[in-house]
Amino acid sequence: MQGRLSAWLVKHGLIHRSLGFDYQGIETLQIKPEDWHSVAVILYVYGYNYLRSQCAYDVAPGGLLASVYHLTRIEYGVDQPEEVCIKVFAPRNNPKIPSVFWVWKSSNFQERESYDMLGIFYDNHPRLKRILMPESWIGWPLRKDYIAPNFYEIQDAH
Amino acid sequence: MAATSISMVACTKFSTLGWIGGGKREVRKRRVLSVSAQQDAEVKETQQMKDEKVEKEQVKKQQTPLRPVERQVNVKSKNMSAQMGGQWLSSVTRHIRIYAAYIDPETWEFDQTQMDKLTILLDPHKEFVWTDDTANMVFSYFQELVDHYEGAPLTEYTLRLIGSDLEHYIRKLLYDGEIKYNMDARINRKMDGRKIEVHSPINFMSLGL
Repeated sequence: MQGRLSAWLVKHGLIHRSLGFDYQGIETLQIKPEDWHSVAVILYVYGYNYLRSQCAYDVAPGGLLASVYHLTRIEYGVDQPEEVCIKVFAPRNNPKIPSVFWVWKSSNFQERESYDMLGIFYDNHPRLKRILMPESWIGWPLRKDYIAPNFYEIQDAH
Repeated sequence: MAATSISMVACTKFSTLGWIGGGKREVRKRRVLSVSAQQDAEVKETQQMKDEKVEKEQVKKQQTPLRPVERQVNVKSKNMSAQMGGQWLSSVTRHIRIYAAYIDPETWEFDQTQMDKLTILLDPHKEFVWTDDTANMVFSYFQELVDHYEGAPLTEYTLRLIGSDLEHYIRKLLYDGEIKYNMDARINRKMDGRKIEVHSPINFMSLGL
């Protein structure tokens, strides 16, 4: 099952894999990390001018890490804007994904959070450092193999 | 028994200095201890691992002896206000405060330049009744932890690990009946979550800690 964007990408010879449609019928594509930067630029030129959301998750214990991008094409006078969901998977031992900050500026903090929580390194990100956890924190809290340190929390005292 | 809060300075190859019993004014007496630990070269590490094993066995039988820091001359701290972005490298929890600085036991002045020393302030709210023995148990455990984390980066994370272990240790002391709650404390809550019945008309909840 192929969506519109997938067909368009095939026409222009861009490598990707179609992951079907999500529950809202939004086309989902997988793109390799090494292709992601060029494809992101192409998608921006195609018209996806709005990064609606960026998130990341740990696929499986010992498996891949995924970075997810929801893109929307905002135009005047359009009721139902085109949307697409891009997933980029990276191996756990060296998770490197090119940053799309230079394409969609709004990915700045989102990618920092993904870095903070899952340890995905976004290449060319202008300021990739922890955003939620203290800077001296060790480990990536949202990975499935993360073991929380036995810290004394304030709620222990209450 | 007078409620005392306690502190100590430890040195990072982390030695200790107990300032207990320094003051005559019982009520205001606090407990401080500084500990120091010179970071040794990594070459020695493997040797030390062996030594540590031997040491550990001894530790189980007896407490780690304190290696106090002698009295230091303080340098006046500069530019440590909030406006200047100054921050003490520290781990502050309810009963344990650890600062990577030397604190003068009498004037309570911090010295930001002496970051090779750790100072612990034990129970600043005076929630427990401490004797010299029980305080020294905590301090020697502190010294043991400081020795254990030798070579670890001096970050908030490491200090937090040490502070948390000490808090768990205090809870253990409490459950073992070694220390008791100080019923005259301004704040009285149990470590396991419920508030203690206090026979006093003052509502401690309003302190909101």
